[in-house]
Formats: sequence, C-alpha cells, structure tokens
Amino acid sequence: MLGASCYFYMAFVPIYILILGFTIVVDYFAGIFIENATGRRRKLYLVYSLIANIGTLCVFKYFNFLNENFSFLMQGFGLTNPIPYLSILLPIGLSFHTFQAMSYTIEVYRGKQKAERHFGLYALYVMFYPQLVAGPIERPQNLLQQFREKHHFDSSRVFDGLKMITWGLFKKLVIADRLGIYVDGAYNYYTHQSGMALILATIFFSFQVYCDFSAYSDIAIGSAKVMGFDLMTNFKRPIFARNTAEFWKRWHISLSTWFKDYLYFPLGGNRVGVPRMYLNLMIVFLISGLWHGANWTFVIWGAINGFYLVFALITKKIRERWWNLTGIDKKPVLNTAIQIVVTFTLIGFSRVFFRSENVGQAWTIIKKMFSFDGSIFNESATMIVYSFFAIAFLVMVEFRREFFSSRFTLSYHKVFWVRNAYYALLVILILVMGVYDGGQFIYFQF
Amino acid sequence: MKKIFHGNSVKTFLLKLLIFAVTVAGADIIVGRILERSYFSQRHGYDYLSTHTIQNTTAPVLFFGSSRAVNIFNPAVAEKEFNLPCFNAGREGQSVFYHYAVLKSVLKRYKPKIVVLSFDAGDFANGRDDYDRISTLLPYYEKNPEIAAVINLKGPFEKIKTISNIYPYNSLVLPILSTTLRKDDKYKDIAGHIPLKRKFNGPLHTMDFTKMSVLDTNKINVYRNFISDCKDANIELHIVCPPYLVNSIGTDASTSVAKKIASAYQVNFFDHSADSFYTSQPALFADFRHLNEKGAELFTEAVAEKISQQ
Repeated sequence: MLGASCYFYMAFVPIYILILGFTIVVDYFAGIFIENATGRRRKLYLVYSLIANIGTLCVFKYFNFLNENFSFLMQGFGLTNPIPYLSILLPIGLSFHTFQAMSYTIEVYRGKQKAERHFGLYALYVMFYPQLVAGPIERPQNLLQQFREKHHFDSSRVFDGLKMITWGLFKKLVIADRLGIYVDGAYNYYTHQSGMALILATIFFSFQVYCDFSAYSDIAIGSAKVMGFDLMTNFKRPIFARNTAEFWKRWHISLSTWFKDYLYFPLGGNRVGVPRMYLNLMIVFLISGLWHGANWTFVIWGAINGFYLVFALITKKIRERWWNLTGIDKKPVLNTAIQIVVTFTLIGFSRVFFRSENVGQAWTIIKKMFSFDGSIFNESATMIVYSFFAIAFLVMVEFRREFFSSRFTLSYHKVFWVRNAYYALLVILILVMGVYDGGQFIYFQF
Repeated sequence: MKKIFHGNSVKTFLLKLLIFAVTVAGADIIVGRILERSYFSQRHGYDYLSTHTIQNTTAPVLFFGSSRAVNIFNPAVAEKEFNLPCFNAGREGQSVFYHYAVLKSVLKRYKPKIVVLSFDAGDFANGRDDYDRISTLLPYYEKNPEIAAVINLKGPFEKIKTISNIYPYNSLVLPILSTTLRKDDKYKDIAGHIPLKRKFNGPLHTMDFTKMSVLDTNKINVYRNFISDCKDANIELHIVCPPYLVNSIGTDASTSVAKKIASAYQVNFFDHSADSFYTSQPALFADFRHLNEKGAELFTEAVAEKISQQ
C-alpha cells in the first residue's frame, strides 16, 4: 500500500516525493525522540519537528508571498528587494499532509499516541493515498492503529465504500464541474459581468466548492472503506447550518478540529477572558485563511469568518430578543429556514474573497454585486438549466438526509433492486450530465 | 435467491456487482441509442450544421474557422464573386483540431475547389480549452476514424470512454431537446453563416499577446497537416485573419508561426487583424472579435475579391 501511495503521489510531480520523504523522516525520528526524552528535551524535539514542517510549508507555499510583501514594503522606503522569487510549483496537498504529520508529533508529545517504530507504517500514515492530497486530515489514534489490524473481505463495507465513491463522483462531475463553468465565466471576466450575474456566480460557487471538496472526501473515505479502513467524516451537510459556528462544525471537520485541538485550545480557547477569546478566534481564522493559500484574499476570507463568529457572540442576546419580539422563534420551520438562508448568504459572501484572484478583483465584484443591476450572464440556456437541476438534486438528497435521515432512503432501501436502480441512475446521470473536462479538485492546490 | 441477496459472502458480492454492471450496461445501450437517434435527426441548430458539413455538403468553396468565421464569412456574398456555391463550415468556439477533423471527413467524400481557413490570434497558444472542445465531434467518433484520430489528442482515455454509448452525447440532452422542440429555424438557408446584428459600443478591449507566447506543438502540427492535406488534394487554400478591434500588447506568436508555415507551403496568408479600414469604423463590429452583419458583408466581399484576383 505504501508503494501504491508513492506511485499515486509521484503521478503529479515525481521529484516532490523527496519533500514528503524529508518530513516523514524528520517526524518519524522526532516521534521516537520525543517518547524517549524527558523534561525540556521533549519540547525541544517537538519544536524541531514543527520547525521542519512549518519551514517546508513556508518555503514552498509562502516564500513568494512573503517576498512579494517584503518588496512592497521596501518600495515604500524607495528601496528594491534584493531577494529573488522562487520559481517553484506548490507540491500537491502539501498543507494536508504537513498538518497530518504535525498532528502525529503533537499527539506523541502529549502522550496520547505511542511513537510508531515501524518506519513503513509511519510513512503510510502520512502518505495513505486515498486522503494524501486533500484530506480528511487524519489523527494517528484513528489511522495508524488500523494499519496494524487484519482486514477481511466484507461485502457490505465494500458496497458502502462504492456508494460513497459513486455519490462523490456525481457531486464532482455533475454538480461541481457543471457549476464551475458558469462561475469561471463570470469570475474570469468579471469586468464584463452585471451585478446579478456575479451574485448568481457567487451562489453557484458556494455549491461548487462544497461539492468539489466534499466529493473528494467522499471518494477518499469510500476508497479507504473498500480496502477496510475508516477515515473520519469531513462534511455534515454544511448547506443546512443554522449559524456560522455550526457551519464550521459541519465543514471540513478534520481541519476545524485540527485548529481547535492544536491552536485554539493551546491559545486558551474559551477558558480565558472574553476579549482574549475573541482574539483567539480571530487568530485561528486568520491562520486558517493563510492555510488555504498564500494570498491576502484568503487572509481576508479568514478574517471575515472570524469576525462572523465574534459578532455572533457579541450580539447573541440582542438577536435572541429580536427573534423573540418578532415571534419567529415560535415558528420553528420559518426560524430554521431563515437561519439557514442567512448563514448560507454570509458564508457565500466571504467566498467572493476565496474565489477571487486578488483583493482588487474581490472588491470590484462586491461593488458590482451590491448594485444588483443587469441580467444574468447566460451563454446558453441549457447551461443554466443543467446548473439548477444539479443544485436541486443535491439539495433534495441532502435535505432528506438532514431532516428525514431514516425515511425515504433510496441508497439504503431494504429492497436490493431499488438500491440497484438508484445507483444505476446515478451512473447514467454522470454519463449524461457529467462534465469530463472540468479539471482538478479545487482543494488540491492547498 | 432472496437468501443470496442477504448474504455477506464473496459470491453474493460478485452477483450483486454483476447485476449492477448489467443494469448500467443495459441502460447505457438504451439511452445511448435514443440519444444517437435524436442527435442525427436534428434538422437545424449547430450540431445539425456540423453533421451536414461532415456528411452532406458538396459546396466547392468552404470556409473553416471559429465563431469569427461563422459570423464573418457570408457564403451568399462570396458566391457572387466566385460564381460557385459556398458553405461556411466553421463552428463557434472551435480550433484547428475541429477544422482539421472536419476537413478530413469532407476529403473522404469530395475535393472542394477553394478552402478558406480563418485564423485567430493565439490559435496555437497553450491551453486545455481547445482540446476539451473537440468533444463536440464525439458523436462522429465511432463512424469516422479520421475524426477519432483527432479526438484522441484529448488524452489516452478517449478510446475507453467511448465504449459507453452515452458518453459521446454527454451534455447534449438539453440542446437536442431544445432543437427538436423548436419549430422555427432561424438558421435555415444560411449555408452555415450566422450574422451578428448588433453594433459595438463598449470600451476598447486590450489583448495581451505576451500571455499567449507559449505555443502548443500539437496545434501547430495539426495546422501544418491542414495545409499539407489541402496541397496534396490540389485544393486552393487561403488563410485569413479577420480584423480585431483591440488595443494590443506585444505581437502574437501564433500568427507569426502560422505565417511562416503558410509561406513554406506557398499558401496565401491574408492578415487583416489590424486592418485600419475596419478598425477605424467600430460600427462594423459586433464586439471586439467579431464583425457584425454589415462588416461581415464588406469583409467577405473584400476577401473573395482578393482570392479571385490571385
């Protein structure tokens, strides 16, 4: 399996396996040294390991970004930056496997995980190919142990895995890549687009990025399941989140919990004073933004989402009172619907920065969006119809799973022929409506 | 039987998998055949024009190219100059891959007398889009090996993907439906030409050629093949670059290479990309890339006259 993982990773840029190899060797020995050491030396080894991991990230992901900002600063003083730019491609999934590796050394340091003595098994923990390039970011307690267990063929597990893969392919090819056509058309030529076209593109992008990323997670989790391994759940229908705090408990769960366990809690979490807690939240989201990409757009995206959480905490009582005064809290369906729409809108708005190439573009798009003018960009009516069909299908499936989890199920229907027909229909829809030239998964770039 | 479906053995697994595979294969054949029939029953629309060009056209003068050719070259105007039937075999959004595949199909049936290939700035620039767009020709993959050869440039998996009967008609359900349901045929008797009525009134677009300087060898080779096949068939080939209404940055590497290749084969390359007669009259444009109906008439007339004088 390690060989397969190496082959999988080397299919992109073969030489980058050396970077991965470097962090694997460093963290493998760091784990053993941390476990064997006592006192301050334990911390020292952990720090070495973190420096190696974060340093690798900085060189390959953030060097040019930092250098560019340094140049800008130098220009302000009338000086030129003597440091040249690095002409390197970002290794695929670098942020994912670096975080997974850091999780291991931190857990060993905390004494919650035994250092892995088998180099091959540790390397496989970092390189396990289903989740190597886009997560879920696993924890050693869950994954490492499974590599030691014996796995027997279990047809129900295999079918569960295949079902997840099929649904993942559907979300990627039929929904995400279909919506991507409109989103790319609108965002790449935003100066020519009307406010309404950009609003529609931003709504589409919210669905696109969800389907794109969760599709990868489904395929990764499904593939692992087929082979007998359980990976952690990464998405829990975030489109139905009722507030932004809940959204982050449903979206990219493996990263949210990573930041919670390894950054938010060590900063003091919510066991500190209120202003410090707000600061902790902002720090976590700013770093989360940077994790996504070396661009100010991601930093602003993180800041906006951090602000949402802080603002929600500050205004909690006022909002509850207003909710009470209007009587909406006595109408649970309306209440839930409004909360879902507001959350979706807030998160969607922040994604303008996530999708834009630079801050200037994002700002222009926002200004255009708030003009609410013009008609929607409509290259062909069929593109819009396909897009709405794709969204409707997704919402229908997720709505049932969210509100009627044990009823009306086709994927787990007790009659074999119904299940069979449902998945055959999904495959046929993929063939009929899938976009086959849509390109890579969005989160591969992180 | 019921017992088998509730088991958890390898045998049960394989049986269920086999049933699923048979269901999918059966549905693929049925849906694929329906789509095939519907696709080739179309009597108007873009796909019909492609089918007509590949299977039926016999015009001695053919125009090839992207939307710029489709919108600009008016066969009715050209016919007056050439005294020969003309047909616009262009297709919106397509590149030299499409034009070459269609030319090969045409050459299997007959030899046109004159071929005009419309060339666009950045035609050889690196990029996946042109490969992706050859998918338009997938319905002809099975029956036209010359088209299949071009489609295979997309990647090594096209042969495998086309095992499916549905795949060639991927994303075509709604276009087929809308063409079939629409009674009026606004493109009837247009011989492939679709004129644009509107007049340009936007700000001047900037075309940065420095961003298109990395060229794709496949595209250059296919362009070269287009020329050599025309030469081998003794077809009079002319390559034309219609005007743009832009501020340009740098020079277009694709056009330079295209001119050199044309010159090596002694083929005319008429570069009107910055022709001041048109660029000084924005009212002749529909947008920065396309001449409108009036501009198209004037340009077709001018090009046809130039060719006739050769």
